[in-house]
Amino acid sequence: MSSFEQSGSPPRKYIRSIAGRDVMFDQEGFLWQPDDWCEEIAEVLARESGLESLGEKHWLVLRFLREFYYNNGRAPLNRHLAKGTALSLLEIEKLFPGGIKYGARRIAGLPNPKKCL
Amino acid sequence: MRVQLTINGIPRQVVADPKLTLLDLLRDVLHLTGTKQSCDKKGQCGACTVIVNGKAVRSCLLKVANLEGAEVITVEGLGTPENPHLIQEAFVLSGAIQCGFCTPGMIMATKALLDANPDPTTEEIKKALRHNLCRCTGYLKIIDAVKLAGRFIRGEISPDEVRPDPDGAKLGVSHPRPSALAKACGTAQFTADIIIPGALELATVRSPHPHALIKKIDCSAALKMPGVIGVMTAKDIKGTNRLKVIFADRPVICEDKVRYIGDPVAVVAALTREQALAAAEAVEVEYELLPVLNSPQEALAEGAIQVHGDPPNLCYTQRQIKGNAEKALAESAAVVEGRFITQINHQAPLETEACVAYFEGEGEDAQLVVIGRSIDIHQHLAMLQEALGWEDMRYIEAYSGGQFGIKADITSEGIAAAAALHFKRPVRYIPTLTDSLLMTPKRHPFDMKIALGADNEGNLTALKMDITVDNGAYSSIGPIVVDRAFLMLSGSYNIPNVHALGRLVYTNNPWGSAARGAGPPQAHYALECAVNMLADKMNIDPLEFRLFNSLKPGQTKSTGSVVEQWPFPELCEAMRPYYERSRREVSEHQSGTVRRGIGLAAGAFGVGGPGDQAIAAVELNDDGGVTIYAAAADPGEGNDSMFTQLAADIMGLPLNKIRLSTRDTEQTTATGPSAASRITYMVGGAVENALGKLKQAMEETGAKTRQELEQAGRPVRYIGTKATLEKGPADPETGLGPSFESQIHALQMAEVEVNTETGEVKVLKMTTAVDGGPVIHPQNFEGQLEGGADMGAGFALREEYIAGQTRDWVTFKFPTIQTAFEHKLIIRETPRVRGTHKGSTGVGEMTMVPTAPAIISAIKDAIGVWIYELPATPDKIKAALAQRS
Repeated sequence: MSSFEQSGSPPRKYIRSIAGRDVMFDQEGFLWQPDDWCEEIAEVLARESGLESLGEKHWLVLRFLREFYYNNGRAPLNRHLAKGTALSLLEIEKLFPGGIKYGARRIAGLPNPKKCL
Repeated sequence: MRVQLTINGIPRQVVADPKLTLLDLLRDVLHLTGTKQSCDKKGQCGACTVIVNGKAVRSCLLKVANLEGAEVITVEGLGTPENPHLIQEAFVLSGAIQCGFCTPGMIMATKALLDANPDPTTEEIKKALRHNLCRCTGYLKIIDAVKLAGRFIRGEISPDEVRPDPDGAKLGVSHPRPSALAKACGTAQFTADIIIPGALELATVRSPHPHALIKKIDCSAALKMPGVIGVMTAKDIKGTNRLKVIFADRPVICEDKVRYIGDPVAVVAALTREQALAAAEAVEVEYELLPVLNSPQEALAEGAIQVHGDPPNLCYTQRQIKGNAEKALAESAAVVEGRFITQINHQAPLETEACVAYFEGEGEDAQLVVIGRSIDIHQHLAMLQEALGWEDMRYIEAYSGGQFGIKADITSEGIAAAAALHFKRPVRYIPTLTDSLLMTPKRHPFDMKIALGADNEGNLTALKMDITVDNGAYSSIGPIVVDRAFLMLSGSYNIPNVHALGRLVYTNNPWGSAARGAGPPQAHYALECAVNMLADKMNIDPLEFRLFNSLKPGQTKSTGSVVEQWPFPELCEAMRPYYERSRREVSEHQSGTVRRGIGLAAGAFGVGGPGDQAIAAVELNDDGGVTIYAAAADPGEGNDSMFTQLAADIMGLPLNKIRLSTRDTEQTTATGPSAASRITYMVGGAVENALGKLKQAMEETGAKTRQELEQAGRPVRYIGTKATLEKGPADPETGLGPSFESQIHALQMAEVEVNTETGEVKVLKMTTAVDGGPVIHPQNFEGQLEGGADMGAGFALREEYIAGQTRDWVTFKFPTIQTAFEHKLIIRETPRVRGTHKGSTGVGEMTMVPTAPAIISAIKDAIGVWIYELPATPDKIKAALAQRS
């Protein structure tokens, strides 16, 4: 099949070793299962995103995100996040290099909504 | 002119434009939205059937100006959920209501029939309902409902005598579906029924070309037309303008290039729908035509133009290599080979792709609310947020008129939400049927080369399969469709050696995506026909051949994964007496012009794919009832029944104490799509898990109500999850790895009659032996099987979407009550190890899998020729007969 090598390669979920355990991530680098998350993983993901360390406000955001998820089964809208943390959206966006979705939510281990399997 | 008529007993005076149809008067003026519209007022669907002067009529064909003195009855005039008519009760109690979009029209046609003939025969029912289309049921339960209504009306039996005891058993009983009465009475609100005074109406300008550059869009004439508020194009979208599923390839509105017939180019907003449609015609688009890639072969040719560039036309390749198929085939005693091709097909939900969007709140608090037809509201919300650059958004699923995979993708929502943002006004996008056909994804056509071998004892030895999938212009879940075909590639059988290659290729055809079964129905057409060919070549009975080659616990599927349960042999044994009787019967009709034949085909449809997970919340109510929160759409399958009866059984509560919140992203859990037959198995499992936690807390505290549980210091809300044991992914080189962790098994037998002169095929009867675990709601279960087989028969014999030609239900060849066939169901209920509650799974797709190969094999049995390309139209059958002779 001569054209095989020229095939596109859709991004796939993958397993990586992180913080001493094998964890599955989706194609956008979000945890596949939020139960796999731990603080050590958050710290690794934060460093990879450009943060030297996670400070108090970071943890405030991350803990709110996880608490919201485990109470509602979904990620909060930004308005809920701002209200729940008493931080402005601008402030939260600045806290995380990837912004709220690709920064805070990813580091908090919240999964993307799933598509068809 | 002024017309006086009576509608539901109320005298009305209408000054009617000569063009005003009765349907328009009912829906748009009087807001009697129980009367539905699907076919662009061509009289093709019957969803708008009402009674005028005692006769059932299609209200879209009647002009109000001609109705002076008429007495009109609509579904709203028949009964209410509180006080339903006997016919409405009969439809509910017969399980004749799935999505409910056709139901009001069906009920009105039934009323007119029974008023004239209270004891009709099946043929009389078929004649009376011949104008009414249904995609969900296969019509069988509708015929049952008409007969039951007749019995009610004749006083032979009452609804109370038929209705199951609500305090009786909760599982395995067809308790009335919670949503059924609202659908029967026309009070269920579908998207097009939602009234937004002052909302702009939208129409979309779509490409008439399959491949072209957009050189210029001239809106000047359109902007001058009456009622036009504006025209928006891609430049007006502030986000990524990409509806990304796997590849970020599909724009909400095309920027500089169109890639298939139907690609959206511009959107017109006007005060009325007619004004918007007229102005859309006036938008002038200058195109520079590009070479058209009509097939994967053209797209893979050297130097072919690239549909996207990145990814290339060959956008996905997957192998599956188990053992050594080449060697095993070479050493096999018998090998059959063939090339099987399936068509581009439309899923054909009856409801068009309606969506409305508006803002709640103002300024910084303004939230965009999108109401539409999604079966994956959280995923689609995330896609819309990115594509449109607006985060504060909420998606609400309305009642939805069928889906069959089509609503796993965003269609009208992108346009409606973008327009609401751009025009800063509420909008309604109620597209025409033709527009809906253009905008929606289709079932992927597969081009399959297969080789299947067996040894001297009849053991299957090897399967080789090359599958080329026409992806169309955009990918959506295309790679997943290939993967799904591979995960179920060896079907019901133990095949020790497999070599398969799947290639997904962009073309300028309509884009493919989810369609009931999504991959396996196409692949099983080749596999199951090949199984019958091989059995024939080896002179082994095809039932015995299947029984002999059934996978057994401990053996592996084509993915290499070991199965722990495989109750397929029992289905073969259950089918045996029916098969032997039919075999004898058709043998008497296998000569002459009209010949009969039977064909077998099997399927093992996977649920609980690698890495699947679901999440649900439950909450104890003040009255001791329970509310379930999960975004599990119910476009007709009966998830409302499943959740209600499951929770009532687990909690020991009456059915009316179970409440569901499933439609709103602000209320529900993001539990994945209502697709892949996964809701009972996955989301039902998550609900079971959450209820277990709640029940434990209640038992530990003795609390019966929310207040008591709160006083005991315990939470009243619990989250439950279910995740499959294996996550994947498969090995990228061999395709081996985990597969679905449970299966719904089926063996189907088609009995057909073929006219050798005309090539016409009539399905006489289908017999399905099925095992999906314990059945929660028998009527819903049966309804999926009957409707799915009807869809499978259409896939096998008639249906095809041809871009630019398929414009409505007639050109699509929508199945009617006249083509409906008898269906015998043999149901076994082997509890699944990780099934929900008592071991249940879901059955929504399985029945699509074996139907087409069963019918094609029955045609072969009747007339001795194989049809290698679907649909098996009369022309193809005549051509095959001519070629043989």
